[in-house]
Amino acid sequence: MKTALSLLLGALLLLVPCAAHAEQMDAESVFTVTDEAGQPLFSISSSVSVGDEYIAGNNVLYRIASLSGTSAVAQRIGEEPMPDVSWLDLGEAQPVFALSDESAVPAAKSGAKPDEKSGQKRLIAMYVTHSDESYVPTDGTQSIEGQGGIYDVARAFRDALQKEGIDVILDESTHLPHDSGAYRRSRRTAERLLQKRPDAIIDVHRDGIPDPEEYKTEIQGESASQVRLLVGRGNQNSGVNREFAKEIKAVADKKYPGLIKDIFIGKGNYNQDLSPNAILLEFGTHTISKERVLASTDVMADVVSTTLYGETTSSAKAQPDAQAGAASASGEKEKKSFSSVAWLLVLVVVGVILFALLQTGSSKGAGKKLGRNLSEMTGGLVGKKRNKSEKK
Amino acid sequence: MSFGMIALLVLGLLILFGVLDRVLDRMALNDRQALVVVAAMFVGGLLPDIPLGRVQINIGGALIPIIVCVYLLLHAGAAKERIRAVVASCLTAAAVFAVSLLVPADPVSMPLLDPMILYGIAGGVIAWLLGRSRRSAFIAGVLGVTIADLITGVSLWMKGVNQTVYLGGAGALDAIVLAGVIGVLFCELWGEAMERMSRRNTAHAQGGSRA
Repeated sequence: MKTALSLLLGALLLLVPCAAHAEQMDAESVFTVTDEAGQPLFSISSSVSVGDEYIAGNNVLYRIASLSGTSAVAQRIGEEPMPDVSWLDLGEAQPVFALSDESAVPAAKSGAKPDEKSGQKRLIAMYVTHSDESYVPTDGTQSIEGQGGIYDVARAFRDALQKEGIDVILDESTHLPHDSGAYRRSRRTAERLLQKRPDAIIDVHRDGIPDPEEYKTEIQGESASQVRLLVGRGNQNSGVNREFAKEIKAVADKKYPGLIKDIFIGKGNYNQDLSPNAILLEFGTHTISKERVLASTDVMADVVSTTLYGETTSSAKAQPDAQAGAASASGEKEKKSFSSVAWLLVLVVVGVILFALLQTGSSKGAGKKLGRNLSEMTGGLVGKKRNKSEKK
Repeated sequence: MSFGMIALLVLGLLILFGVLDRVLDRMALNDRQALVVVAAMFVGGLLPDIPLGRVQINIGGALIPIIVCVYLLLHAGAAKERIRAVVASCLTAAAVFAVSLLVPADPVSMPLLDPMILYGIAGGVIAWLLGRSRRSAFIAGVLGVTIADLITGVSLWMKGVNQTVYLGGAGALDAIVLAGVIGVLFCELWGEAMERMSRRNTAHAQGGSRA
């Protein structure tokens, strides 16, 4: 035991210089991604991985093919099929776009609550994982130990959503420090929010790209900031959440072209394994003024509201074409959900078999072990019932 | 929410329920006890947190796993086993800090293994090295993450940041529970692999000496 303890303590001490190096890397690394012809595609404030995907502003899908230092090359895959939002042209009241298969009774827009008789709940939950994130030109620093400037953005976004007639719960808990444990801490916040059964859950962030020009834009003649959407591909909800992100982008591209910068589908899960309709929004970058970012919150709220609840007017009837459009988008999510279910089942079965094989070392042993476990779990209904005298 | 999404959520929960049940079953809890503890974790995770000043303790995600750890410590065969489990917990807490510092903070840079999985592996490896004990692995995972969270909270309070520490706030899906579960699974897997290797070496040695 003394030897083991010494080895462990030695290993932990060695980690200290590694930690310092990692922190430095984290602070400095901005990756530039180019296409196969060498044309710059986008920058991102930290590393990318082979296999990550990127849906550009023009809806072309790329996949990271190779890495070299702080550069990456992305392979063009092709046009990413985007959800049909032709119903936005119809200018009539539309049914709910995303969550339910039932046609919703449309409500009056802006400021009015939905008709109580419809029973349609409209609730969005929000939280801020990287609590310290701030905007240098306005807040004077990129990080505030406490509630950073990002909370002003989250509050403005909440207020804008509420003006759309949506109930919003913004949990203002902080999740410091800004390290990889932040997602562990914010997971608890997300889980608390999910108990309220919101229609969507949003994690509000800002990016860390040094060049503010990458996020500057003009929306309806006003200086604003673009918004990047992030989806985690390391969880069972990634398919559904990717569709949700695409829906948001499709609606934004129709109503406010240039608002959504792109969609990045990266490793990790960002707590998006907890729920479908989970999304991470990067409102601008640390070198852009907060005023520009705040200018985007109203239009972003309109986009999210339209995505989840449809475009609303005083008209009470939904057009058949719009119903078909909404049903098709909902159907796509349903397909993604079921394919995720199928993949999860396959992974579990394969994982259980592999675990049994590794434990017993033989297929015969693994089979006996699985049979015993199934018998225990089903009270003897499946597999051989265990004798009382048999030890664990 | 559509049927497909509900199915996805339910399946995820069922899988976790099954894994938790199997893990607890292998740690001196009988089948019925294991089932009760797992059910309590799920139900407890939905109940309001218990406030203790600036700390909020979730019943399912922290209180019940900690009670299970205390039970396992009290029922340990010898004082040495208890000491090993406590030492493993402290070392796992240190490993949790190390992971938090080493693994990049930005979401897009997450390595192949999520930090929550790394905490469990750290607990499993440490517990196996110290005593080849599944129970220690569970204790190390659960208490290691808990200790790390408490120390983080205290260090922030000392800097004047008034952040609430939510222990186990994600219920049965919290890092505290997952670290314990993954610790046990990894310890078991690693232990089996090591034992099989040593059995093979012994068999070869005996075969060689007979020749």
